[in-house]
Amino acid sequence: MTTTRSKWFFSRSGWTFDAVNALIMILVLVVTLYPFLNVLAISLNDSKDSVRGGLTIFPRIFTLENYKTILNFGNIPHAAMISALRTLIGTFLSLVACSMVAYALHHREFMGRRFLSRFLAITLYVSGGLIPGFLLIRTLGLMNNFLVYILPGMVNAFNIFVIRTYMDGLPHELQESAKIDGANDFMIFRRIVIPLCQPVLATIGLFVAVGQWNSWFDTYIYNASDPNLSTLQYELMKVLQSTQTGNEAAYGSDVVQRMQQVSPESIKMAITIITIAPILVVYPFLQRYFVRGLVIGAVKG
Amino acid sequence: MSERDTTVTGTTVIAGRRMVPRKRRGFFRTLAEQRFLFLMSMPFAVMVLIFNYLPIWGWTVAFQKYKPGKLFWAQTWVGLANFIDLFQQPRFYLALQNTLTMSLMSLLVNFTFPIAFAILLSEMRWRGFKRLIQTVSYLPHFVSWVVVSGIVYRMLSTDAGPINQIISAMGGKPIQFMAQSNLFYFIVTGADLWKELGWNAIIYLAAIAAIDPELFEAAKVDGAGRWGQIWNITLPGISHIVIILLILSIGNLINIGFERQFQLMNTIVLDRAQVLELYALRYGIQMNNFGRGAAIGVVNSVVSLTLLFVANGIFRRKTGESVM
Amino acid sequence: MTAVTKRLTGLLIALVLGLALPAALVAQGSPVTFSAFFADPNANWANMEDEVGKYITQKTGVTIKCEFPIGTADDKINMIVASGQYPDLISPKGAAGVLIDNDAVLDLDPLIRKNAPNIMKVIGDQFDRMRFNTKKPGVYFLPNNDTIGQVNFDTDSWFKLQLAALKEQKYPLVKTLADYEKVIATYVKAHPTIDGQPTIGLSLLAEDWRFVISVTNPAFWATGYSDDGEWAIDPKTFAAKPHVMRTEEREYFRWLNSVNAKGLLDPESFVQKYDQYKAKIASGRVVGVIDADWEIQDAVNSLKAAGMYERTYGRFGAVLKSGIKAAYNVPTGFRGGYGIGITTSCKDPVRALKFLDWLASEEGQILIAWGIKDKHYTVDKGKRSFIPSYLDMKNNDLATFQRTTGIGNYNIGIRYGDGVKDSTGNYFTSKNPELILSGYSEEDKAALKAYKVTYWNDLLPQPKEFKAIPWGAAWSIPTPQDSPLNEFWNVEQDITRKYIPMAILGKPADFNKTYDQMLAELTKSTGKYMALESELVQDRMKLWKILK
Repeated sequence: MTTTRSKWFFSRSGWTFDAVNALIMILVLVVTLYPFLNVLAISLNDSKDSVRGGLTIFPRIFTLENYKTILNFGNIPHAAMISALRTLIGTFLSLVACSMVAYALHHREFMGRRFLSRFLAITLYVSGGLIPGFLLIRTLGLMNNFLVYILPGMVNAFNIFVIRTYMDGLPHELQESAKIDGANDFMIFRRIVIPLCQPVLATIGLFVAVGQWNSWFDTYIYNASDPNLSTLQYELMKVLQSTQTGNEAAYGSDVVQRMQQVSPESIKMAITIITIAPILVVYPFLQRYFVRGLVIGAVKG
Repeated sequence: MSERDTTVTGTTVIAGRRMVPRKRRGFFRTLAEQRFLFLMSMPFAVMVLIFNYLPIWGWTVAFQKYKPGKLFWAQTWVGLANFIDLFQQPRFYLALQNTLTMSLMSLLVNFTFPIAFAILLSEMRWRGFKRLIQTVSYLPHFVSWVVVSGIVYRMLSTDAGPINQIISAMGGKPIQFMAQSNLFYFIVTGADLWKELGWNAIIYLAAIAAIDPELFEAAKVDGAGRWGQIWNITLPGISHIVIILLILSIGNLINIGFERQFQLMNTIVLDRAQVLELYALRYGIQMNNFGRGAAIGVVNSVVSLTLLFVANGIFRRKTGESVM
Repeated sequence: MTAVTKRLTGLLIALVLGLALPAALVAQGSPVTFSAFFADPNANWANMEDEVGKYITQKTGVTIKCEFPIGTADDKINMIVASGQYPDLISPKGAAGVLIDNDAVLDLDPLIRKNAPNIMKVIGDQFDRMRFNTKKPGVYFLPNNDTIGQVNFDTDSWFKLQLAALKEQKYPLVKTLADYEKVIATYVKAHPTIDGQPTIGLSLLAEDWRFVISVTNPAFWATGYSDDGEWAIDPKTFAAKPHVMRTEEREYFRWLNSVNAKGLLDPESFVQKYDQYKAKIASGRVVGVIDADWEIQDAVNSLKAAGMYERTYGRFGAVLKSGIKAAYNVPTGFRGGYGIGITTSCKDPVRALKFLDWLASEEGQILIAWGIKDKHYTVDKGKRSFIPSYLDMKNNDLATFQRTTGIGNYNIGIRYGDGVKDSTGNYFTSKNPELILSGYSEEDKAALKAYKVTYWNDLLPQPKEFKAIPWGAAWSIPTPQDSPLNEFWNVEQDITRKYIPMAILGKPADFNKTYDQMLAELTKSTGKYMALESELVQDRMKLWKILK
């Protein structure tokens, strides 16, 4: 295998490969961008006109009315702050917890490994139901409490397994030499493993953060009577709720008075955009972790 | 098996130490050595015990004729009656069939495509374009099923829907896609793929990012082309995570939720759209039959755990990967 | 007076004042807060910070803290019951049974007679209609959904036709389904496209629960029966059966089958989603709809905003064949039904009841419907009307109107309905005939003129042509928590939603076979519920002392 031959072979197959790849990517781009642009367009379109349908990626009658309706709802700024808080704190604590457990499980000689793995795996498929969970939270005094956003979901088996698998795949020389140099498990964890884990931590961090940002059901069940603990998504759900013709109207009773100005579809769209916007802003900062070899190269150096 | 040990998987082989069997070293000695590992894991295990295991007493509802409000000891116990009744419902089996079929289709599609996509994306040379695709591709994940189902309906509509317009332009007769029961499974799987492709690929992108670049260099030197690199380096490199996710997903085969089916269904395809969780909702909670709802939950969990252990066992024997 | 007497008198006065003042304070309202849960979400609830709310708190001392559900209230109510911690006031709508079974709400019967004179006045001789059922005959909930003495000025009817089509055909009389179909067929033939898009003769909506509104309810409207939910109750034997089992309704669906065979029915009727349906209507190309006003409201608003008034709809009570009387206006009497209750967690139930009583007083009712005198409304020559700026806000931005003034936020207790006049000769509520007329467009008025009536309602048989329904309405009868009747809805819907579309879309020759299949399955699966429902109806009539 001469170098010239491999170079030729490499560049030729590489070129067609890249071209086909690019074409596929463009297709994916169009197909995934379209629904988002469509949602954006409808959210910026006059809601009465939106009912007629037929919008693609540009608004017909531009308006900010849909957003104004939502933001006028009252508690949104405060709720957004609470959401941001729970996202930051919850994600950080969850990453700390899950990565520590993952690290422990990653050691094959760890005594509790088998037991703990099974213990955790079972939680993924077994649940006691809504009411027992509710009663537990109440007994623990976590009702109307910010911590109910953080504690129950903090230790998540799926995240732990993913991080652990990632750790299993890391080159081991670094950990070995550190051990021989006399470092204890925790120091290896902090100084060597965590920096190597940046891609997976970015990934899991993203998953957890999105989960925190989007969640409203826990607010609804546990914290609904305290407006100070309301989250953004919950407030948005309330807005959406108010624009929909309810079930009771089905039987001829008084129609719930709704916001006649704005149709439900427009509100749904505006809510989607408001929810996605922060994620769109944050994600580019995480992208550098997904560049091949960057992290390992850096740490090794 | 042994080749894998020396390439990228690299199981830990600490010089000398592994040779000594654990028993001889003594329980407390090991405990002391591994104290950090314990400290790093046990407190969180306790949290899991509290938040995840304690509520399992709720399974007792499956054995009761439950009425909310009545105290635990005041409930009527009916033993296995809820289960027996459940297994006699023809709708239960219909729901089971729908659930498993769509799950398997989804499993197939939601592994192959995101992995392929992640690999192709990581092979992309133009950084700017790559970043753009990366950001845009996961956007549909955030659009709710309510909105996505609206888009799907519009696309497939016979009334000025784009797909049918293309068909008409090519001389065919418009097809009412959403009214075909036989197509429902495919429409759901397709819509799911579209929505989740980018998001599911993220984790594989991270896994690919972790592969030691030296391995790629070595392969290039050995004359491997793009495909050669992908086949010999990338795929094995992400194989762990793929297998782990596969095992976990197999456990979830019966747990697929119901929102997709609920949003995409209509009166005509109803029989194909009833999935287990939807069935539990309509024939359990909504009928105030909490016992049955809980029984379905128990059946769900038992089946899932069985699937998990079986899948895990198979994979452990075949590939050495294991969740537990 | 001697000095001693003076002193004593002084002491006496001080004593009396000392006792009376606090009492007067309590009577006027020392501050108290009640927690409340309402199963009906109210988006415009402003935590009593609105103008009417502040006035109420000032006058009575009462502040209410409200919670609302997202989606159905069932989850939340089950949590509430499971935890045993109830809010002071609760308005659970259909979940009343759960609360009563768990002894969570107080029986207000004795308390009302002693402490609530206004409520007694308003409810009058309908007192028994507030009771729950014969097993638990207490008054647990004060009805706040149905109102006393309600008169519907302009009842909705389902069979709607575009005003443009009616105008072009010189406003033909639409009395039967055949007339209805003819208008559609003629117009579609003359106009195969509207605004460049294919015309749709008739479009129905079948998405989830809306199936009953647009597809199956019209079957009883067109065959002379009234709204008892999914049931039909025999007026003589009081036996219940699912209404699609009535022989007349088969003919209604057969008619729909023929409409489909002629190509006049939108093929997407049973597949489309709500927003697709609305989009079609809003594009102005659906000639006929069979649906309720509130369900097409968004689409009609869109048409109006685009200036397409001729594409909005006139409505008729079309029937299967002449001689049948469309029963939209059949009187039900006061239905009782959903209401607000005081729970066992409330520390001062008498105070809560007195508060609800105050809301039911004439002063209270005018306040919650009209607002504050000279702030929101004026009385000019004895006639009450809104101040123009507020009327404007009410017509154009109802949400802001409700949130700032608070009018419409406090319909939480028992009250009079539309059409009932107060002691000054004005209506208690702000809905009145003039308001309706002002809501009609020019095209509406042209049509009504051609039909020689003032309101669309005038085309329907009027209340006095019917006997009042002794059981009110079957859907307003609460079901006990553990009754198998809770299963009825899902079981029956699964059967009708499957077979009715099949019957309508199939070949006319297959219609009977498909329909018979449905009837057979219904009989098999819902037989046990029929007996239970009949029992329930009879129980209610015994409760209301109509049956012995």
